Amino acid sequence: MARFLITLPGRADGGRGARPAFPDSVTDLRQAFGPFDHLAQVGRAAEIAGFHGALAPFDPEGDESLVVAAGLLRQSRRLRTVAGFHPGIATPVYAAKVSASLQRFSGDRLDWRLAVDLDPAVARAQGDFLEGPDRYARAEEFLTVAKGVWSEEDYTYEGRFYQVLAGGFQSPLAGRAFPRVHLSGTSKEALELSARHADVHVFDPEDDIEAASPPGVAYGLRLPVLARDDDDEAWEAARRLWTRGGRTAESLPDPDPRTRLWRGFRPSGSPGALPGASLRNGLVGSFETVAAGIRDYIDRGVGVFFLEATPYIEETYRLGERLLPLLTKEGVRVR
Amino acid sequence: MSVDIYWRVGTHGDQPSLRRRVVSRGEWAPVVPGSLAPGVRDGERDDYSYVEHMGDVARASEISGFVGGLLPSFPNTDDPWATAATLARETTTYRFMIAFQPGFLHPVQAARMSASLQRATGGRLVYNIISGGGGPDQLWWGDKVEHDDRYARTSEFLDVLRGVWNGGPFDFDGRFYKVEGAGLPEGLAGQPFPEIYFSGSSRAAIDAAGRHADYYLSWLEPFHALTEKFDQVRANSDRTPKFAVRIDVLARETEEEAWDEIRRGWDNIDPTVLRGATGDSIGWQRSQSFVTGAVNGYRDLEVTPNVWGGFHLLRGGPAFGLVGSYGQVAERLDELINLGVGAFILAGVPHLEEAYRVGENVLPLLRGHDLRIDSPLLEGTPS
Repeated sequence: MARFLITLPGRADGGRGARPAFPDSVTDLRQAFGPFDHLAQVGRAAEIAGFHGALAPFDPEGDESLVVAAGLLRQSRRLRTVAGFHPGIATPVYAAKVSASLQRFSGDRLDWRLAVDLDPAVARAQGDFLEGPDRYARAEEFLTVAKGVWSEEDYTYEGRFYQVLAGGFQSPLAGRAFPRVHLSGTSKEALELSARHADVHVFDPEDDIEAASPPGVAYGLRLPVLARDDDDEAWEAARRLWTRGGRTAESLPDPDPRTRLWRGFRPSGSPGALPGASLRNGLVGSFETVAAGIRDYIDRGVGVFFLEATPYIEETYRLGERLLPLLTKEGVRVR
Repeated sequence: MSVDIYWRVGTHGDQPSLRRRVVSRGEWAPVVPGSLAPGVRDGERDDYSYVEHMGDVARASEISGFVGGLLPSFPNTDDPWATAATLARETTTYRFMIAFQPGFLHPVQAARMSASLQRATGGRLVYNIISGGGGPDQLWWGDKVEHDDRYARTSEFLDVLRGVWNGGPFDFDGRFYKVEGAGLPEGLAGQPFPEIYFSGSSRAAIDAAGRHADYYLSWLEPFHALTEKFDQVRANSDRTPKFAVRIDVLARETEEEAWDEIRRGWDNIDPTVLRGATGDSIGWQRSQSFVTGAVNGYRDLEVTPNVWGGFHLLRGGPAFGLVGSYGQVAERLDELINLGVGAFILAGVPHLEEAYRVGENVLPLLRGHDLRIDSPLLEGTPS
């Protein structure tokens, strides 16, 4: 079966903003509402709406994803949570240690989305000055060591980037499921890394999936969606989304006639996304139209969908009630 | 000024008492009938995780009047960042004191995690920064930096962490860390900076504490030794931190009851336990030096009244703690307050039940700075 995950807001409040005051004539019992109150609601929505999981993206402009993931895992029973981060955040031993506890606390529902190919300025601001293929070499070592200490007692490693002597987790930290590893990128190095370490290789909608397919790995897709009762209503919503950013209605792009992809989604929560980064492709239309677009991807072998839709709470419910039921029979061919 | 009193959370399981060194909370020992979190139901292991129990300890601490709890970090403990983030929304005033070693996380990542935790908790994060006990454990973590260098790294780590905390752009080019155009984003920037409890007994640690610590945190030692240590910190820093002490307490209605509890534990000690842990931690070496003379019974480890150096034999962790009646334990804590201690991290086994006991019976007896001491303990102090 194809699996559907929602993408969480990079910043926990999801850009929801302040709640306007009520007039004095209206009883107002509202208490302070923190950013993580919003996030908790999104997570609950995803759990209740039947999503397989939620992605807490690595967003340098947003909240830290392992902290976000921990909170979400705590408030859910079934939802998997994918935490996005880059290999420079910690030693692989420590990243694995934090994750081992989260697996213990959540019943093995944490997954990793490793952002390797950061924008260089973003990387330097995170204290990471590695460039080019070295970043993949380090990610390779990072994953090797993390998996090594996870599964072997008395683990020793001597590499270019990391060293461990007589390491490795013991019971009860040992023996949990290692987080499913999500990687991405279409370069030779990226695909080689995925072939060795990924459980899921995550593509963008416009990628040539067939040309770049690491063997033995499930395919994932980041997919912004805007789905409504009918196509007209969806395009009306797309127009509003487009003009809210200060653009004119006349400049509204048309969808690609062949792929149905509309390049009008604003970037949100993508690894290393910068303000002003280019617009993103996604699907717009009735629930049936969007489901048909998703079916095309399933036919191309995609099995894991990271749907992106805002506002987060409302769209998560909407997609759970209206889109996912159309796809319950799909995905038998999924790799 | 009021004294902040924390209560420790066991991040590697807990025993039901000090009487027998058997873990039954958390699966650091085999899960059998009678184990809790996880436990056994209808012959099968249930799906409760140890974090359920840690959450209970945190709630018990909050209810009993502790301002928060220390979450320790060792190779085979649950991780304090993961624990705090998991339990963030399950208490309201409880402060999470996260123990961590600066070498393991990048300071920008530590800043991001901390700021998000501040947002998740409403500013209830506190740091216990450890620069490493050394020995085999450091290499277990994949950390090869030598003892004194670890304090230099800690200094750089905190410089970068503070540098990015209120936003950027912040540049830094040091021995251990380099960043360019760094800074927490809007929304994360400008959260309250966590208070820093700084551990370490070596000269390098004390130097670094003077620069960075809000509180210089020590294990309990005989009071004259603590006084010397505090004097050393005062003498070696322009900016004197406040002092904090981490203390196990075993307090009962009467002194006899308290010592009887110790006796029961002592009678069950496995002799191999006496050959304990090692490390290049100066704190550990110091704690070994306070017991002189033959140890023929548990009272031989009572180095000064109510200060007992055998806790490490009854459970994992430091050696010294207080044993006595509620009133005696409160008096010893008051004496420490008068020696300049501004915060305590107390602990007792089992942590859940003892949080209630100490909160209900010991904390209400504290008189703090009002006490005018005329204590025999403070006389005859070697100078």
